[in-house]
Amino acid sequence: MTLLLLLLVPFCAALIVLTCKEPERAVRVAIAAGTLQMVAIANAVWRIRSAGVVQFGRYLRADGLTAFFLLNIAVILALVLVYSIGYLRHIPAGRFSSPRWFYSLTFLFTFTMIAVYLSASLGMLWICVESTTLASALLVGFYNTKGAVEAGWKYLVVCTVGIAFALFGTIALYLAAVKSGVNPASALDWSVLMNAAPGLAATRDLVKLSFVFVAVGYGTKIGFVPMHSWLPDAHAEAPTPISAMLSAALLNCALYALLRFDTITSHAIGSAFSHTLLLIFGCLSITVAALLMVVQRDLKRLLAYSSIEHMGIVALGIGIGGPLGILGALLHTFNHSIAKSLMFFTAGSVRESFGTLRMRRIHGMARSVPFTSAGLVVGALAIAGMPPFALFISEFMILTAAFTASRYFIAILLLLVLSVVFGALLHHVQRMLAGKRTEEPARLKPLPSQFAVMGICTTYLIVFGICIPRVFANLLQRALVVLQ
Amino acid sequence: MNLALDVIQALLLVAIAPLVRGVVARVKARIQNRRGASVWRPYADLLKLFRKQDLVPETASGLFRLAPVILFAVTVTAAAFIPVLHPSALFGAGGDFILLVYLLAIGRFFLMLGAMDGGSSFGGMGASREALVSALAEAPLLLALVSVAILAHTVTMSGIVLSTVRQNPLHLSAVYGFALGAMILVAIAETGRIPVDNPATHLELTMIHEAMVLEYSGPSLALIEWANAVKLALIMAMLVGVFAPWGMATSTSIAALVLAPLAFVFKLAVLAVAIAVIESSMAKLRMYLVPDFLGMASALAILAVAFTALMR
Amino acid sequence: MGLIEFAAAKALASSAVFLFITLLMMAAAKRISTCIILFSTQSAIMAAEILALAYAGKSAEAYAVAALVIVVKVVAIPYALFRIVKDLKASQDVASSTTGAQSVFIMAGLILLSFHVVVPYAKTLRLDEDLLAAAVALLLAGAFLMVSRKKALMQVIGLLVLENGIFLAALTTTYGMPLVIEIGIFFDLLMGVFLMGLFVFRIRDTFEHLDVSKLRRLRG
Repeated sequence: MTLLLLLLVPFCAALIVLTCKEPERAVRVAIAAGTLQMVAIANAVWRIRSAGVVQFGRYLRADGLTAFFLLNIAVILALVLVYSIGYLRHIPAGRFSSPRWFYSLTFLFTFTMIAVYLSASLGMLWICVESTTLASALLVGFYNTKGAVEAGWKYLVVCTVGIAFALFGTIALYLAAVKSGVNPASALDWSVLMNAAPGLAATRDLVKLSFVFVAVGYGTKIGFVPMHSWLPDAHAEAPTPISAMLSAALLNCALYALLRFDTITSHAIGSAFSHTLLLIFGCLSITVAALLMVVQRDLKRLLAYSSIEHMGIVALGIGIGGPLGILGALLHTFNHSIAKSLMFFTAGSVRESFGTLRMRRIHGMARSVPFTSAGLVVGALAIAGMPPFALFISEFMILTAAFTASRYFIAILLLLVLSVVFGALLHHVQRMLAGKRTEEPARLKPLPSQFAVMGICTTYLIVFGICIPRVFANLLQRALVVLQ
Repeated sequence: MNLALDVIQALLLVAIAPLVRGVVARVKARIQNRRGASVWRPYADLLKLFRKQDLVPETASGLFRLAPVILFAVTVTAAAFIPVLHPSALFGAGGDFILLVYLLAIGRFFLMLGAMDGGSSFGGMGASREALVSALAEAPLLLALVSVAILAHTVTMSGIVLSTVRQNPLHLSAVYGFALGAMILVAIAETGRIPVDNPATHLELTMIHEAMVLEYSGPSLALIEWANAVKLALIMAMLVGVFAPWGMATSTSIAALVLAPLAFVFKLAVLAVAIAVIESSMAKLRMYLVPDFLGMASALAILAVAFTALMR
Repeated sequence: MGLIEFAAAKALASSAVFLFITLLMMAAAKRISTCIILFSTQSAIMAAEILALAYAGKSAEAYAVAALVIVVKVVAIPYALFRIVKDLKASQDVASSTTGAQSVFIMAGLILLSFHVVVPYAKTLRLDEDLLAAAVALLLAGAFLMVSRKKALMQVIGLLVLENGIFLAALTTTYGMPLVIEIGIFFDLLMGVFLMGLFVFRIRDTFEHLDVSKLRRLRG
């Protein structure tokens, strides 16, 4: 029942918000629904912690990994909802462009993402990942400008093609399972496949084929490098709260799907093949993203490439394997989502103050908007992987795992890339902070709610950079167990 | 008996060729809501032309008068290669489909020479266009015939038709489908029909064959027109024979001998209506798009040949 | 009922060839409406196949899937696409970056490539290699159409052909997935086409043209 509630709340909220004609009422309903959703998720996480695995009917299932990612999406949703209260004053009027549509689509988007996490069957997983693309396409094109429409179209088309390939991979795995004697009616259920995995070794080639297509397919949504072309456009042109949600929650969602396939493949034919593929994607992603970060001119595009880089690091962590590598990767997904949200919120404030996101045109931030600048500096240092921020811990774990597993090439590449990223971020941020303040007066003062949210993120980053609370570590451990 | 049938079918093709042209023109007129000339009109035209005087330009050489004769001779010879009433032909055993294609090429070659010999600019222009179209049409024609020849394990036209007759019409291989597609496109180009060439136009922009024969008159023109008609009938008979030969006389019983010409006439009628419909529903392609059109035929023909190895 | 059995056997045996023919015609097509009709024909051929399989295997689920294919892919989606084309009032030209003959050559090459890819697998998996090759050919053809056609609607049609290919692959290898999953996939497809249609109108309104090769403002 708890699982069903998790799905019902955002779905009903999406419908109810649509009926609120005045913006204030829509905002209040949204906040109320968001709070209800937090409670539901907390309840669900608690239930999973005590019961191990929670199942509802044939199609909903939650285990340790699910709990971890549900917590992730809960935190992001809370931050985004609070931030968006003030940010909505920027939305231009137009069809589909009022606060009620914004919140309705956001809740629909949340509904689809939670459905991904709760899927028991790989077929359901596919359907829900495809629905996340559909639900967020209108959000990406929300502003209806030329750039937004182009970004939305590219996002829709590229991701749908990619996910179609993932469907092919799912079918190949289904075929392998059926050929190994699993009952066709339940050959797509994840738990059934995990049990039958050793028997899948007979159809090695088919399992390999399936993983390749799934990695390419879901990798498109994660943003791995040859398939990443939609990511910078979509994350840059979407409204800032939605960019945060895309970078922080959606990438993790697609990663979850890939992880489910990875565990089955590893149990079936050993992890050499799948992990090598993940390492290739990871190396490509971090290299290309870091190099492109140097030449960016738009702040949100810079952040989008940073997301690609961090997802590459996560892929490296999983590819290296072992408890330390996977633990580092999971922790990194969480830390990255918080840090990236902080950066996007800061970018939103920058846009409010300066009217533009072109980094060349922004000068003298340190003097005119001190709090926003502080947020920018903290965020930049965090996503560059500096101590004492939390990303340093997760990256350090992955590096240690790399050295322990004798993957020296990966480790050295990672270190080089991190240096390049640090240099690029430093260069861009310093140019924005220093210099004389620009002649234009600040256009709009950011709201306290925005600062509150940025403060929460900063606190998290510092606290978790120093010491991870026991409760959280437990949650992480249980998630790790699922993946072993 | 067989020899008699072979001779009869060759003469049949030559004799009814103008009728086929007449039928196509009549059906086309009906589709376009005109009354159209009588189907026997081409015979009347031929008779009229044979009685007129042959005018030769001053600058022309002997080739000018020789070309129509060679064209007619070669086309009639080619007509003797095609099985019409039964799966064998007069010259069936003595030559193969490559010889057939190149007989038609010889005829076309001499027509082009004669056109250029006439000395007018239309002749040269028509000859160059015809050279382009025929050069591009030759490859798909040969490849399509090669693909069905591979399936039939023989190179003679009669052998190909015989092997098709023996197959069950509902279980034909995919090769026939692709080869038919290629051959239809090539047939349109070879017989000079819309969308490649308009047989009824005399505008400089649009004529290919008509430009070549513009200088001819009298019996020479009659021979050329007749040869053109025989070529049309020949190619239609080839399409029918290779891809839909059921109904041909495989035995010498009276029933088979009565059925064969009726079946042939029926299939020709269907093809004539098809040609008329295609001509009335499409516009003529501009000259620079004709290579594209024939490129599609080549692609289909290559696919047909590749499929002889793939699908059994 | 010998006739039905015969029809079923014939449908299974020669549907691959008919699918190839529709692909070649789609490569040569010059108008968007032609492509929509060809897509509808492809889906109809696949529906006939599913009906033949349903008749042979006597499974009610397969009949349901066939009905779903007919309703969604043969009727609903082409109808929606035709409405979009009519409401857009834009030119029907396909705006291909390759000429007709080049497209047909490339398509023929893709068909041969798909056979080359499938033949080694088909022996080990004991599958019908014609249909599997047709599935891979549909996939490659869909990708080719998306890449070479510059109109936004043609990209949608290319995507639909690609999904047809994947569906056919599922059909030949496993005779379909559980019914609920199939319904979900069809629903997603329908929603996807609906959203893409919405975006096509937005592209037309903001950019005043429908040429996606000119959507190049966001680069780098």
